[in-house]
Amino acid sequence: MIRIRGVLVSAGEGGVYGERMLDGYRVWDPYRSKFAALHMLGKGVDIDGDMKVLYLGAAHGTTVSHVADYVETVYAVEIAPRPMQDLLEVARRRGNVVPLMADATAPETYAPLVEPVDLIYQDVAHPDQASIALKNACFLKDGGLLLMMLKTRSVDVRKTPGAVLEETLAALTAGYEVLDTCWLDPYHRDHAAVVARVRKEGA
Amino acid sequence: MQRYWFGDIYEDGRCVPPVLSGESHPSGVEQPAEPDAAALAERLATLRTDMTHYSPPDWSLAVKCGLVRDREEYISRLREVCFLVAGKKIAEHYQSRDVGLLQMVRMLDEIDHVMNLLTERAGDWYQVTHPGFSRKYRPQSAGKMLTLIKRDGGLPGRVAAEVARLSDLRKALMREVSLEADAVLPNCSALVGGVVAARLISRAGGLADLARMPASTVQVLGAGSSLFSHLRSGTPPPKHGIIFQHRRVHNAPKAVRGRVARVLAAKLSIAARLDYYRGVSDPGFLRDAQARIDEAGVVV
Repeated sequence: MIRIRGVLVSAGEGGVYGERMLDGYRVWDPYRSKFAALHMLGKGVDIDGDMKVLYLGAAHGTTVSHVADYVETVYAVEIAPRPMQDLLEVARRRGNVVPLMADATAPETYAPLVEPVDLIYQDVAHPDQASIALKNACFLKDGGLLLMMLKTRSVDVRKTPGAVLEETLAALTAGYEVLDTCWLDPYHRDHAAVVARVRKEGA
Repeated sequence: MQRYWFGDIYEDGRCVPPVLSGESHPSGVEQPAEPDAAALAERLATLRTDMTHYSPPDWSLAVKCGLVRDREEYISRLREVCFLVAGKKIAEHYQSRDVGLLQMVRMLDEIDHVMNLLTERAGDWYQVTHPGFSRKYRPQSAGKMLTLIKRDGGLPGRVAAEVARLSDLRKALMREVSLEADAVLPNCSALVGGVVAARLISRAGGLADLARMPASTVQVLGAGSSLFSHLRSGTPPPKHGIIFQHRRVHNAPKAVRGRVARVLAAKLSIAARLDYYRGVSDPGFLRDAQARIDEAGVVV
């Protein structure tokens, strides 16, 4: 990961969403991107030029554009039409982004298109985020990682964020080995990052 | 067999490229005619993947299928297909008429909001330049005050003129919303009027979403903050949200207002389903529903 004077940046064509540039690199703002927030907290997952990433909940393609600057290919899944228009624009300018307009809860709809990947990055607003991670585990290579940004308020606003995290971790053990968890304060409130390694049957 | 966007892979490693699938397949020696992105997208829509026996495709299989020469070409052709599919899906989404109605009613509410802000500020400004002016004991409408300010001229006068123009725009938009809602939501509009029906759609996120909501949700749509304060700290639950704007609810005596809201919401959620699945007005349902709602408003 590239840092300039402590600031996380990525190398690529700028002007995607009005991001600042620093010595010709694109500044990756931890307040806007949970991926960057996790890195600034020192618990980030390193990504590099050999990796293929499945990105669930790609939204407007802001974080996608940075991830694409680092990795080989990004499969970006988004269901809502409005953000998809923005995502398509980002993908048009970045040849290594494959935009998939599909529902992350129904991987069978995009299964014929997605290669085995090294990392699943999941940032979806859905009440059952663990089940989405489990359903998509089939796309991970052996030893592949899941990086889940748990929006606890999308799961249940009446439960405490801590309780939601506990439940999600318990559900994840069905297919993953949880390596690390981290709250994204002060960058994002009530968001937890979960890093987990896929457990393949027979492995 | 695994079916991928670039072709079918059999257990014995045989690969059948898209255009030839369904026909008797040659052994793969023959080069198939180049299928274009549209053909690939069309085939993709017909694929049914069984996730229990699924394994993700390796790009080198596509080379074996003869569809691409290298990885670069694999990604570029895959992207071509994905862009096509996404573009089509977006266009499809925008074709449903409630999407346009939703934007229209949101714009209407936004214009209301802006007009109120501007009117209030223009009034305050006017008061400063006319120390003797007060709105107290003058039961005049905001419109009358605006005319006063407009006549006075200057910059506040120009603001007032702008608000008057917005007011015309609002009238036209309101008419349009009513007409469109009558066409898109015939049953809901018949129960609560076009504008309130359109606001319900706007809050629900679309007609499909409204049609899938239980009546209890429809009843408190738009009363989010009081609902959550009820759930969190046990304040009294809200009786009504957006449907309060309909005269049947806000004109009902306080004692029965909750009941009216509940019955109206129940009938509305049925109406939304009729609108979504059938799309035409159902006079029989409407007659019964109106009678039932009127009945709920009677104080015993």
